[in-house]
Amino acid sequence: MRKTVLITVLFCIALQACNWQSNLPVYGPKTAVTKTENGKQVIDSLDYVLPPFQFVDQDSNVVNTSTVKGKIYVADFFFTSCPSICPKMMKEMLLVRDKYKDNKDVVILSYSIDPVRDSVARLKIYETKLGITSAQWHFLTGNKDSIYYLANKYLVSASEDPSAPGGHIHDGNFILVDRKGRLRGYYDGTNEQSVQKLLSEMDILLKEKNNE
Amino acid sequence: MSSKKILQFIARFAIPIIIILFIYNIYSHGTIIHPGKALFKAQCSQCHGEDGEGIKALVPPLQNSDYALRNLDSIPCWLKFGINHPVIVHDTVYDQPMYPSEIDEVQTANVINFMNREFFKYDREVNPEWVKEKWKNCK
Ligand code: HEC
Repeated sequence: MRKTVLITVLFCIALQACNWQSNLPVYGPKTAVTKTENGKQVIDSLDYVLPPFQFVDQDSNVVNTSTVKGKIYVADFFFTSCPSICPKMMKEMLLVRDKYKDNKDVVILSYSIDPVRDSVARLKIYETKLGITSAQWHFLTGNKDSIYYLANKYLVSASEDPSAPGGHIHDGNFILVDRKGRLRGYYDGTNEQSVQKLLSEMDILLKEKNNE
Repeated sequence: MSSKKILQFIARFAIPIIIILFIYNIYSHGTIIHPGKALFKAQCSQCHGEDGEGIKALVPPLQNSDYALRNLDSIPCWLKFGINHPVIVHDTVYDQPMYPSEIDEVQTANVINFMNREFFKYDREVNPEWVKEKWKNCK
């Protein structure tokens, strides 16, 4: 009996230790490139990285690829008149914001998929409704096609659908992106457990070295 | 003891005890909960919060909502057709839309009774007939 308990405890500790060192996956298709190394042709595979982007946030600031350069960030897609899952997603994203609000290495990007209606002023009002003023959490608007194109590149779904509540459909994913613009995690932004997982994986990602 | 007496004994004490234990068990494990509570948890709590606390200035609280108390008769319509006008709860203006819930008159009565008891502290039971009556006059 004692032995069983001991073994179980040790097993759990060992498992924890493994967990501790585990690395987060890198999502997206890799591309093969040929390069010359020591005069020989070798084939290397490159990780999928997000394409450059540029939008405007609730304070009329330009937010682009260099805003997040060398930082980790969480992205999601929403719109201010969204009646369905967005309030819950915001409530969960506030947890992310509260945990890392003093951390200069962490950014949050919330892209509006209804950018025509979601003007800078509307996004500002939305931010105020959330009870925050934050230089770290950007609510983004801009060219509609660019936003849908980018959603696609984040490997999430977003589309216009007049029959859906609010006229748009999107999944409630939170996407974790690393310092190099690589996709490192997907979480259900309407689910508390999933967001807890995000918070712990952000800690892991923050410890990852930025060797470039 | 004769077998007859044993049987009598079981019938008199054991069976009621088992039944009581059974009911207690179900209760303490929460299998039997107010049907309105189950519905609220499934369909309303993601926005209004499990304790009816709301989300910042996006979703109004239900906890002691003065607005809901003043407009109790409109709640069936709000649930059936959604809310597309600003509401003022505890002196704060909210104007995000609430979309319609797809619930029938029995579920609507259940969830209203749950809110009356839990959030509005208002001692009134409504029934499905009342809900149907209110639905006739929705604007
Ligand atoms: C998708 C989010 C969402 C869901 C789900 C939701 N509500 Fe609401 N609810 C709102 C919003 C937003 C308002 C404020 C509407 C406005 O500002 O016009 C509101 C307002 C209300 C109000 C009146 C204001 C107040 O606080 O007293 C009541 C009552 C209410 N909801 C009950 C419910 C019930 C019961 C359910 C479940 C059947 C439900 N709601 C589901 C978002 C939601």
